[in-house]
Amino acid sequence: MRSPFVVPVVTTFFLLAVLAHLGFFDWARLSRGFRNLSILGADMVPPDLGILPVASAALWETVEMSFAGTLLGFLASLPLSILGTRRLFSTWVSSLARFIAAGIRTIPVLLWAIVFVILVGLGPLAGTLGIAAYTVGYLAKIYADLFEGTDPEIMEAVQSTGASKLQLVRFVVIPEAANAVLAQVLFMLEYNIRASSILGFVGAGGLGFVIQIYLQSLDYRRLATVLLLVLVIVLLMDGISAWLRKRFLLSANAG
Amino acid sequence: MTDNGSAPAALHAERVWFSFRNHDWVLKDVSLAIPASKHTVIMGPSGVGKTTLLRVLAGLLKPNQGQVWVFGQPTEELKPRELSALVGYIPQQLGLVRNLSALENVLMGALGRLADSRALLGLFPRDEIEKARAALEMMGIGHKSSEQVFRLSGGERQRVAIARTLLQHPRIVVADEFASDLDLALASEILTRIRRAAEQEQITFIMSMHRMGLARQFGDAVLALKNGELVPGFIGNEILETPSIEASL
Repeated sequence: MRSPFVVPVVTTFFLLAVLAHLGFFDWARLSRGFRNLSILGADMVPPDLGILPVASAALWETVEMSFAGTLLGFLASLPLSILGTRRLFSTWVSSLARFIAAGIRTIPVLLWAIVFVILVGLGPLAGTLGIAAYTVGYLAKIYADLFEGTDPEIMEAVQSTGASKLQLVRFVVIPEAANAVLAQVLFMLEYNIRASSILGFVGAGGLGFVIQIYLQSLDYRRLATVLLLVLVIVLLMDGISAWLRKRFLLSANAG
Repeated sequence: MTDNGSAPAALHAERVWFSFRNHDWVLKDVSLAIPASKHTVIMGPSGVGKTTLLRVLAGLLKPNQGQVWVFGQPTEELKPRELSALVGYIPQQLGLVRNLSALENVLMGALGRLADSRALLGLFPRDEIEKARAALEMMGIGHKSSEQVFRLSGGERQRVAIARTLLQHPRIVVADEFASDLDLALASEILTRIRRAAEQEQITFIMSMHRMGLARQFGDAVLALKNGELVPGFIGNEILETPSIEASL
């Protein structure tokens, strides 16, 4: 009989080996890190609020990119996810749709931004398209799985009224998944706001460009201001999505 | 196709065998004729194949062997919309969309008649909306038409499900364990309303039930199913007078 300790012991050894390989037991280096952190922290205080007008404009661009990118990605993900629902379409149609979504999702958002900088040039348009592309890949997969989980009894009952496939999607599949559809798009919006604040690193517009300049010029007091702005906008988004959830989502035990 | 002699059969099954993915037979050689404009109850303990039989009769499952006719037409030759004009189906859990209102759920009964373009935008013709409201009124739930279904009680949901099927204008309604979860008084009230609606619209009702009292009240005829087979001798009105049916199930 297999000992109950085999799995925990092997896992622990594996974890320690990986940590050692990654440099986690290099105490000198780690202690230097803590020292540098305190220096960096001291260099960031007090934040330089003089750059607020410049940073705010960049921040607004980031927010615009996130909203537009999330919305475009969401709209494009709906048809793709419906095609990817095995219960509605044949295996090869749904497999093809899922394969496309997986392909899009494989490429990180930063790489998508680079691709679109090459395609449409520098600026927020490339960033928006990059966010939209990543959002499509992510939401199409989540939504297809969600739609597949639709209660078969409801599908059958409405199908027996003579409803067409499109009518089933409109009146059963999407309304039944509405809570999760909204929750996921809000999550994606929050994620995109954080993600898009670094897209400027590759020239795709928004706050990232400003962050990169202050990082390279070691201007940590200005950097601190920008990071605080990001914190404010993320908290604000949390508040807005919490309100939206409360306003539109049904209670989890409903039904 | 054979005739049982008296009224013409609304639904007729001949030597139906059914199994899921070639496992054990769920239905074994079931032949029956459901008289038109009557209420037929299929009784039997859970797990004997009542739901499967109803789904086969409603044309939702294709039998492995044998055939089912709806008013003389083989179900497998009917297109989904043709079938939906003849047979309405209410599953055990009712199959209502919880996030939509009672009225929207009822309107789904009209989908088989409507073109995609307008219905997809949620634009239902005014006369269909009027008919949907009337169906809810008839079931005694007109005042809750704009409530979302997940806010409704069990009895109210049953009424919405029936109203949806009425809007479909089928000639036959197949309902699985309808009103089984309700207390006797409420179930009885809802079934009375169904009888009234069915008589008005000349609808043939087929319901599975496990409560003898309700079956007695509602059914014109009772069929008994046991281990996927019809219990012989339990077809017809006389069964309602036979006290031994419960013992034999």
